[in-house]
Amino acid sequence: MSHPAHYREAHPLIFVFTHWINLISMVALAFSGFYIHYPFFANFMGVARGMHFFFMYVILINLFVRIVAAFFVKSATRLGTREVETDIKNWLPQKLNRHQLGAWLKYYLFLKKDHPIGAKYGVLQKIAYIVTIPLTLAAAYTGFAIYAPFMDAAFFAAGTDWVGGQMNMRIIHYYIMWVFILFTAVHAYLANVEGVAPSRLIFAWKEEEGLRFDADGKVIGGSGH
Amino acid sequence: MAHEDHGAIYDLLAARGVSRRDFLKYCGSIAALLGLSESFVPQIAAAVNHGAKLKPAVWLNGGACTGCTESIAQVDTPDVATIVLDLLSIDFMETLSMAMGEDALAAAEAVFEEPGYILIYEGSVMQGFDGNALRIGGKTGLEELDHAAPNAAAIVAVGSCAVDGGFVMANPNPADATGVKPYLESKGITTPVVNLPTCPVNPEWLVAIVVDVLLLGSLESGAILDKLDDWGRPKYIFGQTIHDNCPRRGHFENGNFVNEFGTEEEALGYCLYKVGCKGPQTYTNCPIVRWNRRTSWCVESGAPCIGCGNLNWVDVGAPFLNRHRDLPLPSVGNTQPGVVAGVVAGAAALGLGLHAVGMKVTGRMDGGAPYEEMKAHDKKRMQKGGGK
Ligand code: HEM
Ligand code: HEM
Ligand code: SF4
Ligand code: SF4
Repeated sequence: MSHPAHYREAHPLIFVFTHWINLISMVALAFSGFYIHYPFFANFMGVARGMHFFFMYVILINLFVRIVAAFFVKSATRLGTREVETDIKNWLPQKLNRHQLGAWLKYYLFLKKDHPIGAKYGVLQKIAYIVTIPLTLAAAYTGFAIYAPFMDAAFFAAGTDWVGGQMNMRIIHYYIMWVFILFTAVHAYLANVEGVAPSRLIFAWKEEEGLRFDADGKVIGGSGH
Repeated sequence: MAHEDHGAIYDLLAARGVSRRDFLKYCGSIAALLGLSESFVPQIAAAVNHGAKLKPAVWLNGGACTGCTESIAQVDTPDVATIVLDLLSIDFMETLSMAMGEDALAAAEAVFEEPGYILIYEGSVMQGFDGNALRIGGKTGLEELDHAAPNAAAIVAVGSCAVDGGFVMANPNPADATGVKPYLESKGITTPVVNLPTCPVNPEWLVAIVVDVLLLGSLESGAILDKLDDWGRPKYIFGQTIHDNCPRRGHFENGNFVNEFGTEEEALGYCLYKVGCKGPQTYTNCPIVRWNRRTSWCVESGAPCIGCGNLNWVDVGAPFLNRHRDLPLPSVGNTQPGVVAGVVAGAAALGLGLHAVGMKVTGRMDGGAPYEEMKAHDKKRMQKGGGK
């Protein structure tokens, strides 16, 4: 049908790494978090907490690296092209995405037959990815607020008071985990439902030929199989 | 001054069968509780010894169950704590005063005339029904507090109810209960309040405050205020969590938990986290000071901490045997956070599943639908306005 070409320029190697680190950290944090929430088997609490306290720094450093790299690394800003620009362009409003929010919603709700034109990250996709930044910071804030070495610091204690105490802060932290789980479920679903080429690229850095597009989103060659 | 050890206190102690050694040992533990070094022991002993010059004190009961009075008064074996508390010359205490009725109230009134007394307040401040949720001697409880608070040198709010309303303010809080400090703040009354939560109050904390505030002069010097946290709780008592000092903490770290009461794990004294222990989010030093003449305390005796020293402790702690509190969902009622998460996640999974069926049916699984020639928005504009 209409597979766009998946070239390495879309996800330069550093982002393959940051994505892997995100995935591994999230799995580790959610698993250890679930265990801390309710230890479902014996003799693992020390390890679970150790895991949690390790990966919480990993994910924060990774987020920082990812953001800084956006300003220094060049990547493709649209589908099916090897042309690159500074990566941050992907995270700002893009011409190809303008006026397309409604089109994407309709497409996903089966109210529109053809695939909306879009930049590398479509409107909803981009919003979802960007939302993971404040979400990670919120996990960190609520996490540090229930972490003994930090919880007395005024910056965290004030928030704990505001939400009505440690128990509420824990529950917020716990719910943030669920938001991440939902994000990951929808994200992994959408990334693979139209074919595994995107995943092969972001995980294994394997290219796949397909449709090529010009700067206006017009097909200029290649085949969609 | 450690030499004039022959004060009235030792006679009192001897009469009650407490040796000098016990007394000094006890003063040592007070010093430790207050975060002072051993070298303060003689000073504390001397202060207790000379304590006769104490300020007058009045004990008022607000919306209370009298549990805190019980906690302070449940003395069957006189000990040093009792004697220190006896030093508080409590001129009025509804429950325990010999005088009754008008006479007793008159005694309290007399104290309120003379600024500088200590006001000990037990129970919540019930604001509901224009203050008529609580009436004392023909007045509302609010009028009594309004009258008693401004002239006090300091107020000691004993028990969680006096701190923030305690169990009385738990949902739905019909009496509109609150604590002394928030109430006075809303009235613009600035008398310093020392908050001693837990339900009931632990007598040892009152002892510590009597020694610190009244005997060591930290009220006059203002030092007490630096020792309080934002909620007016002395940091040396309420600065660390139960979990930080719990004797079962090793079991927590090793992952040895009681899953159910009446099991071998319980007999082995494993950690009570899974049966709802609120120790990790409760700030009191119960494990160090303990209860009932330092005999034992909740977790040591096998019960999970229910977090009675927390603010809003019932709402944030119930159900007491669950790890998380309940969420009071409108029209659904109290629900565990995990149940809510499960329902939402289930709905999402169902949604994705249905969506996948739609993708299959519309033949989009292989690469998605063909790309549009032009954005729908641009097409519309072109049709309307004839090109861009
Ligand atoms: C990013 C920084 C994070 C920090 C600083 C952090 C910190 C913490 C801390 C200190 C605890 C309490 C551990 C204990 O008391 O032994 C905790 C619990 C937990 N964390 Fe995190 N965490 C972070 C991220 C995450 C993420 C991303 C997830 C999920 C994907 C997560 C899920 C959980 C869960 C479910 C709990 C158990 C909550 C409970 O029921 O008490 N955390 N976290
Ligand atoms: C089951 C696990 C996952 C799969 C299969 C998956 C798949 C993918 C794919 C295929 C892409 C590329 C999208 C495209 O080019 O169209 C991508 C990008 C991305 N994913 Fe995931 N992902 C997974 C887990 C996660 C997790 C746990 C997170 C973070 C919480 C995450 C965050 C992101 C972000 C932020 C991007 C943008 C990449 C960048 O430019 O850095 N992913 N993912
Ligand atoms: S019994 Fe409670 S306070 Fe003690 S270690 Fe276990 S969870 Fe912490
Ligand atoms: S251990 Fe917990 S429940 Fe028991 S008195 Fe202390 S704070 Fe209250």
